Amino acid sequence: MASLLDASKPRINCSMLSQHIGRGVCFVGRVEKVHPTGKTFSVSDGEGKSATVELNEPLEEELSGIVEVIGMVSSKGVITTTTYNILREDKGIPFDLELYNEALKVIHDFPQYYPFEVAASG
Amino acid sequence: PSRFRVMMSDGRHTLSSFMLSTQLNHMAEENILAPNCICNLKRHVTNILKDGRRVVIILEIDVIKPAKDVAGRIGDPTPYTEGQSKGPQSAPVPENRPPLQPQNRNEGLLGGRCLKGHNTKCMNPYMCVELTSGLIRCPKNEECRNDKLRFLFFFCNRWTIRARVTNKGSIRTWSNSRGDGKLFSMEIVDESGEIRVTGFNQEVDKFYSLIEAGKVYYISKGSLKLANKQYTSVKNDYEMTLNGESTIIPCEDSCDVPMVQCDFVSIGDLENRDKDAIVDVIGVCKSVDDISRLTTKSNREVSKRTLSLMDMSGKVVTVTLWGEEAEKFDGSSQPVVAIKGAKLSDFGGRSLSASFSSTLMINPDIPEAYKLRGWYDKEGHAMDGQSLTEVKGGSGGGNTNWKSLSDVKTEHLGHGDKADYYTCVATIVFLRKENCLYQACPSQDCNKKVVDQQNGMFRCEKCDKEFPNFKYRLILSANIADYGDNQWVTCFQESAEAILGQNAAYLGQLKDSNEAAFDEVFQHANFNTFVFRNRVKLETYNDESRIKATVMDVKPVDHKEYSKRLILNIRKLAANH
Repeated sequence: MASLLDASKPRINCSMLSQHIGRGVCFVGRVEKVHPTGKTFSVSDGEGKSATVELNEPLEEELSGIVEVIGMVSSKGVITTTTYNILREDKGIPFDLELYNEALKVIHDFPQYYPFEVAASG
Repeated sequence: PSRFRVMMSDGRHTLSSFMLSTQLNHMAEENILAPNCICNLKRHVTNILKDGRRVVIILEIDVIKPAKDVAGRIGDPTPYTEGQSKGPQSAPVPENRPPLQPQNRNEGLLGGRCLKGHNTKCMNPYMCVELTSGLIRCPKNEECRNDKLRFLFFFCNRWTIRARVTNKGSIRTWSNSRGDGKLFSMEIVDESGEIRVTGFNQEVDKFYSLIEAGKVYYISKGSLKLANKQYTSVKNDYEMTLNGESTIIPCEDSCDVPMVQCDFVSIGDLENRDKDAIVDVIGVCKSVDDISRLTTKSNREVSKRTLSLMDMSGKVVTVTLWGEEAEKFDGSSQPVVAIKGAKLSDFGGRSLSASFSSTLMINPDIPEAYKLRGWYDKEGHAMDGQSLTEVKGGSGGGNTNWKSLSDVKTEHLGHGDKADYYTCVATIVFLRKENCLYQACPSQDCNKKVVDQQNGMFRCEKCDKEFPNFKYRLILSANIADYGDNQWVTCFQESAEAILGQNAAYLGQLKDSNEAAFDEVFQHANFNTFVFRNRVKLETYNDESRIKATVMDVKPVDHKEYSKRLILNIRKLAANH
C-alpha cells in the first residue's frame, strides 16, 4: 500500500466519510465497542456519530479511550486500518474531542489555508 | 356638562359622596344607573376638596342587577361617618361594595392611584409616592404633582405595604442624661423600592423577635420622615419609624416580593463615579485569583481574594473580597455575582471592594442575572473585556489583551503616555547567558546590586551597609518570536527562573563551578513556547527613544484555551467577510 503511505491523509469525522471513499484518512475518535474477535471496533467522533474500524490483525491489547486511526475508507464507509495510536488519558492534558472536531471543521471549511495535499511521488 | 351625584349603599352604610364621571353621564341619563340597582364599582378615584371633604369619582361601574329586578332597599343602611362602622348583620352582604379602601393591598410600597386616576405603584388613594426618589408625583402626569399632598402624606398613614426584610440590625442601646433607650433598624424592599425602618423602645419589644431577615411582612401605620442618609446606602429620601399603632404581620404569599433592591451601575460607568462611592454592581465572574492572607496593622490575619467582573458594557473590573466571603467564594463555572453596597476605589484606576456592609450574592434570582447569563453564554465568554483596573502582576483579573508580536509594532503599543500591557503566545529563540546574573544585596527586601569591596565584603549603597555575602538575581535578555515578528524582552527574577527552569542561586553556583552544565540550562530552555504577559514602554535615553519590553509573567501555553481562541477568531474573521 505504498500509495496510502505517500498520499496525504486528511483528518476527518464521520460526516466526511462518504466524501473520502477509497482514500486514506486519519480518524480520531473515542473507542465505543470492541468486537469479541478483536478484528473490528466502533469509534465515535466529536459530534457523537459512530464509525466502524476494521483491523488487518486482531487487537493484541485492551483498547479504550481516544484513538487515532490511519486507514482507508471502504465503499461501505468502514475504515480499514493499518495502524492506530492510543492517545493516553493518564498523561498530559486530557484530549478534548469536541474541540478537535471544531478544529477539523475549520480545516475543511478553509482548504485554501490548509493545503495538506502532497503530490504523490512516483 | 351636568354632574351626577350618586348615593351608594353597601347594605350597612350609605354614602352620598359619589360623583359620576362625565363620560358615564349617559348611564344616569338612560336610567341604566337607577336607584336600587346593584352594581359593581370597578374603577374610581378619590379627590379631596378644598374643605377637606372627600369625593369618590366613579370611573367605571357595572350594573349587575337592574333596578327593576330589585325588590327594594337591601338592609338597613345608615349614613356612614368616618371612624364608625357597624358590626356584621344577619342580612346577606350585597355584592356592591364601594371601596373606600384600596382594592389591592399588594400594589407595592405606598401604591394606589393618583388624582388623575393613573394606577401607579401607590397604595394611598390620595396621592402617589415614588419611593426611591421620595418625590410625590405621578409618573404618568406631571400635573399631579402637588406639594400640599406631601404633607398630607406624612399625616395620612392608612396604607399597608408588603415587603421583605433584607437586613435586620441588632438591638442598640444607649444611656444618656435623658434616660435609657434601645432601638433596632432594618431595611425592607418591595417591587418599587426600599426603605429603612426603625423601632424604638416598646416597638423593639413588640417586633424584634417576630421579624426574621429574608421573610415578608405586611406593615402598616409607620410614620415617615426625611432620611438621615449619612449612615446608609438605602435609596430613599425617607425613612420609616414604627410607633404604637404600627402593625407587622407575617405574609405567607411572598414569592413575588423581590429579595433585594439594587440599583446596578454598569461597570463601564464606574469610571464616571467618584472614588469612595457606594455602588451596586452585577456581572459575570470571569476569573478569580487564589486566596491570599494579609496581616493587618493590628496584627490580625485576614483573607483576601480578587475576582474579575464583566458585564454587558464589555468592561471588566477587579473586585476584592475579604474574610469569610473570600474564603467561601467559588468562582468555578463563572457565576453571576452581584454586590450591593460595594465600595469604589481609584486603586489601579477603578476597582471595587466588598466591605462588611456590602451584600454579596452569587447567581441571584433576579432578572438582571438571567440577562447576564444569557449574554455571557452567547457572546460574553469570548470577549477579553477591557479592564478598568490596571494589573501590574499580569495574571488573572486584568485585561489579557491578546496580541501577536507584529500587532505590537503596527499598533505602536507603548508609544503613549502610559505603558501598555499585552499578552502573546511566543517562542524563545535566543537567550543571552552572558551577564544574566548579578550580585544583589542579601537583605530581604532589597535587590540592589552590591559593590564587591574585594576584601570579602560587599557593599549595598541603598541599605548603606556591608555584607559578607550576596544573593544572585537574574536579569535575562531574550528574544521571543511568533509567526509574524520577534521582540527583545527583559525577564526579571521570577519570569527568568520560570523560563530557565532553575532558580537564580543554583544558576549562580553552576556558572561559577560548571560552565558546561550552566550552558546546558540555556540550551534546554531555548525554543520553548510560552504565554507571555509583557509591558512595553517607549523610553528615552540621551535623545534616543527605544521601546523597552519587560516580561511581567510567563505561563505555559494552555492549548485548549489557545485552540478555542484561534477557532473563535477564525470564525469571526470569516463572518466579517
